[in-house]
Amino acid sequence: MDKNSTNYVLLFVLMMTVVVALVLTGVRQGTESKALENEAIFNKRAVLAAVNDYLGMGEGVTANDLADEKVLEIFDSRVKQITLNTAGEVVEGVLAEKIDMAKEKKKDMADRVLPLFQYENEGETFYILSVRGNGLWDEIWGNIALESDINTIAGASFDHKGETPGLGAEIKDNPTFPGNFSGKKIFRDGEFVSVVVRKGGAQDTTYEVDGISGATVTADGVTKMLHDGISLYLPYLNQARQNSKMESLLIDQH
Amino acid sequence: MAEVKAVEKVKEPLFGRAEKKLLTDPLNDNNPITVQVLGVCSALAVTSLVYPSVVMAIAVTLVTGFSSLFTSMLRTYIPSQVRMIVQLVIVAFLVTLVEMALKYFNYPIYKQLSVYIGLIITNCIVMGRLEAFAMANKPWRSFLDGLGNGIGYGAILVMVGVVREIFGKGTLFAGSPIELKFIGNTSAYMINTTDSVLFGWYANNNLMVLPAAAMFIIGIMIWIQRSYNTKLVDVS
Amino acid sequence: MGEFINIFIKSAFIENMVLAYFLGMCSYLAVSKSVNTAFGLGLAVIFVLGVTMPINWVINEYLLSENGLFGMDLTFLRFILFIAVIASMVQLVEMVVEKFSPALYSALGIFLPLITVNCAILGGSLFMVSREYNLSQSVAFGLGGGFGWFLAIIAIAAIREKIRYSNIPPALRGLGMAFILTGLMGIAFMSLMGIDPAVFTGK
Repeated sequence: MDKNSTNYVLLFVLMMTVVVALVLTGVRQGTESKALENEAIFNKRAVLAAVNDYLGMGEGVTANDLADEKVLEIFDSRVKQITLNTAGEVVEGVLAEKIDMAKEKKKDMADRVLPLFQYENEGETFYILSVRGNGLWDEIWGNIALESDINTIAGASFDHKGETPGLGAEIKDNPTFPGNFSGKKIFRDGEFVSVVVRKGGAQDTTYEVDGISGATVTADGVTKMLHDGISLYLPYLNQARQNSKMESLLIDQH
Repeated sequence: MAEVKAVEKVKEPLFGRAEKKLLTDPLNDNNPITVQVLGVCSALAVTSLVYPSVVMAIAVTLVTGFSSLFTSMLRTYIPSQVRMIVQLVIVAFLVTLVEMALKYFNYPIYKQLSVYIGLIITNCIVMGRLEAFAMANKPWRSFLDGLGNGIGYGAILVMVGVVREIFGKGTLFAGSPIELKFIGNTSAYMINTTDSVLFGWYANNNLMVLPAAAMFIIGIMIWIQRSYNTKLVDVS
Repeated sequence: MGEFINIFIKSAFIENMVLAYFLGMCSYLAVSKSVNTAFGLGLAVIFVLGVTMPINWVINEYLLSENGLFGMDLTFLRFILFIAVIASMVQLVEMVVEKFSPALYSALGIFLPLITVNCAILGGSLFMVSREYNLSQSVAFGLGGGFGWFLAIIAIAAIREKIRYSNIPPALRGLGMAFILTGLMGIAFMSLMGIDPAVFTGK
């Protein structure tokens, strides 16, 4: 057949498309389940990174150091997944780890569902909340762990889509930044105040953390993300705080 | 593929001097980045750390090698009107495979490289070698030429990555199982921590982490290379 | 409309393809020896980005996504389809320009095939997907990104013309200097980072 005839060109392109599409579809069929599993492990690891200090795996071992199987094992045995709506009620039928925060962020407030991970370590319960907001270039997100008093922050982990390496990206790359959140409080006299990332260094050591120089917009994004994100959980958190107060009162009376 | 190799073997040595030159030439005299100025985009974006640079270098080497091989095997069948598209489809096909492989084997690094994996398709080295070499040469030689150029490209990538990571972050191979940490001073931070390990007097230079630093480093590399290799000097 | 201008300004100046993301460097460095040729290539890039972005958006939304024509997630074919669209658009543009404006063709002609492998074009489409732009936003992003690329290549070409007879060490002449200059320009453009054009456009 003439190599330059239209028929030949069409035939060639057609055959090539079919071969390429078939091979790719085949490879994808073979790899997809593992890829999805990897993604789930990646996300679970990020959740566990918020309780890095309480993993109980020995000194200095962080979620990043854990093997994949270990992450899954901890998640299966010590994490209770709860799905909430913005009114603070538990929603059945949706697994918390399956919630796509990027999609939730686009919905109306009232329609959103929120993942809550209850993590147990040596008898203590931690509440891990997921938040998502905007940085300088693109979206940023993170997980915040609260201690059982539902006030003190036990740890945090952040990630981002496209912040500047060396500046905004330090929220993820520099372990000191998320590390600074440990021990901060989000309620002042029962009133929700969240935590502020302060440019030029924290002044109020209970409610503020140091900013990153040269990354003011990302830092402000983190502040706003924390405030707005935790706010959504407030109905549930307030209720849980009431309950735990009641419990401690009861214990006192005994 | 095995058939092709066997045929080649009868005619000429499988790995003679010419073949060796195909592999080593791109390392210096004909380096894709510093001499041919091809494929610079990803060199800048992913080199702030060594580990992603290594992964990127391997990915590009595989793509250049195999796309050259396939294109060369098909070269007598490809209709000239749609030559570009056919080449691009071959490259895009391989890059999609690389993406799936990364998702399968190393998800965190896939996340880190994100759109830059896709951009291997438009990495000019790949297309450049297909046009300049693979369309006119036999498969085995094209494969070597592709590999050589991928390695030459990867070498620069890793070198830039090493400089940027050591001076910018004070670590080496961060994120990989063999992470080394030798500078503890985190200057990006308002309040310097004192947990310095070695070289505590050195404050990590944030400029090195910015993409612009890669431009400076490559510029200086070109300077050094051309000082030794004067035949490359731009006379115009 | 405000949003359109907002994204245009943002992608042209603040998130400049060349100076903030360092995309499309190959042709940027190779074709920036004189302002005239840089001008031609820049125009061609604006055009191709502006045309391919909405087409790729439609393909991504109506063919590849889960709620598209085939009802399944075909995003793994994204690279191939995007690059095929870009390559065929470039070829189409080439033919149209050749037929209707020979003068423009002789000015742009040699650059058009180069554009197919310009990372800024494919990069633009991939960024569009990862940032989840809608149709009008992608048009704005395409035109703005192209304009930013155009500005950057004109700027470097002008500087390179000026320094042509400067006393630079011979080994650094040409390419080496172009790299360092681009790095400096990139740092200068970083000062625009964080500006929110919404303040000016009132949206």
